[in-house]
Amino acid sequence: MTVAYETDGGAGRFVALRDVDLEIRAGEFIAVVGPSGCGKTTLISTIAGIVKPCQGEVRVGGKPVVGPGPDRAMVFQNYALMPWRTVVANIRFGLEFQGRKLSKSEADARIERFIDLVGLRGFEKRYPYQLSGGMQQRVGIARALVGEPAILLADEPFGAVDAMTREAMQGELERILAATGQTVVLITHSIDEAITLADRVVVVSHRPGTVLEVVDVPLPRPRMDDAVRGSAEYARLREYTWNLLKGEALGAHEQSGPAA
Amino acid sequence: MAGAWRRAPWLFSVANVGTFLLLWQWLASAGVLSDLFFPAPTAVFAELWEGFSTGFLWVHIGSSFQNFTIGLGLSCLIAIPLGLVMGANRYVDALVSPYVWALASMPSVALVPLLVLMLGFTDAAKISLIVLSAVFPIMINCMAGVKTVDKSLLTAGQVFGAKKRQLYSRVVLPSAAPFVISGVNQGMSQALIGLVVAEMFATRQGLGYLMVRAQESFNAPLLYGVLILLVVISLTFVEIMRRLEARVAPWQTLDGI
Repeated sequence: MTVAYETDGGAGRFVALRDVDLEIRAGEFIAVVGPSGCGKTTLISTIAGIVKPCQGEVRVGGKPVVGPGPDRAMVFQNYALMPWRTVVANIRFGLEFQGRKLSKSEADARIERFIDLVGLRGFEKRYPYQLSGGMQQRVGIARALVGEPAILLADEPFGAVDAMTREAMQGELERILAATGQTVVLITHSIDEAITLADRVVVVSHRPGTVLEVVDVPLPRPRMDDAVRGSAEYARLREYTWNLLKGEALGAHEQSGPAA
Repeated sequence: MAGAWRRAPWLFSVANVGTFLLLWQWLASAGVLSDLFFPAPTAVFAELWEGFSTGFLWVHIGSSFQNFTIGLGLSCLIAIPLGLVMGANRYVDALVSPYVWALASMPSVALVPLLVLMLGFTDAAKISLIVLSAVFPIMINCMAGVKTVDKSLLTAGQVFGAKKRQLYSRVVLPSAAPFVISGVNQGMSQALIGLVVAEMFATRQGLGYLMVRAQESFNAPLLYGVLILLVVISLTFVEIMRRLEARVAPWQTLDGI
């Protein structure tokens, strides 16, 4: 699969991703890491169906993706919650435009279930501006999961929260996903986050983004455990991935070097 | 003192204005201030009292209020839909915006001679001036509201399956709502200016006319009385809009004034 954009004026094409070939198994947690500007967000937007590849295709369950659909949902870095909606109404947003109609009571029951799952009980009537960043992202996660998508897409979901909340939220996500058995594609720039959460880590090169390597993470779960994160295997995976990325980051630096 | 300040900040305002009025009263009655330019507050309030009790003030207030409401209402009816469409559709924007910006940058008072020429000394002339004063700030704010919608909310809408029309009604419009209100707010103060100016030039009724008449008959207390009425009316509207905004868009007013 290749994704390119027409640049302004149509004079040339900016190739964001080239020849990305990736198969994701149901129930698998994939993390995508790469230098900034490598097309990670383009990759996830293409899977979501809001960006079209100019070559190749994305298939979900064998069917080609032609646009957004209820089988895929996304969690955003800046939460992207509707400020005029309460927590409940924001979660309901995840159900409102789906083709298959849930009855009002089914939808309500579903929303209630996810409010409990993400730990927002007692905050249902609050507005996003009344919540901390971590709480807002819980709403974002619930909104994405409430439609029970086959694939959860997450674009740097904890990039905007502080380090402590980030740790806590990673643990929360691991717990929530253990409960739903969700397939996940997580974009992150944190190697630790990738190794802590994913079954496989996809390392993407500097632009145009290509898959450098897919690193298997055979660590036991739950991984938010100090014994796992302090293990030699964790350290080895971390260093291995970092070395892959370091070459890329340096390459990127040379390309856009002092003359440019 | 600090405790009283926290408990009842309005007490300070009352004391402040009260002292000011007392000082004014004292200076006026001592003959330091000219009766003609600065009549004593008591004379101003007596004039207002008489105006209300004989009912002649009500006639003018009623006329002003009616024209103001019709004018502002028409402005909203024209400007809100047009502004919202301009923000969303670049063809409409390209078609309309040269005229909007040209007219918006012109002081609407400059249109008085033209309006009197076309419509004479009628309510229609007054309402036209009010509309021409209020319509552009409302329109421009509505347009800005649509244009400045957070792109990530649009992406979220798309990802969750909203079609174009749903995106507009469930994401764009609610996010533009606070802009619409602040547009109406600005339009309102412009409408008030348009109203007073129109009444001063083009009419035999209304608060603006009353001020001109008071001036011609050297009735300074009445002049001051009408000014006070205008302040009260204006502040009332501003407060209504402020509450409306806090209700419709609490996330906007959170750390505002």
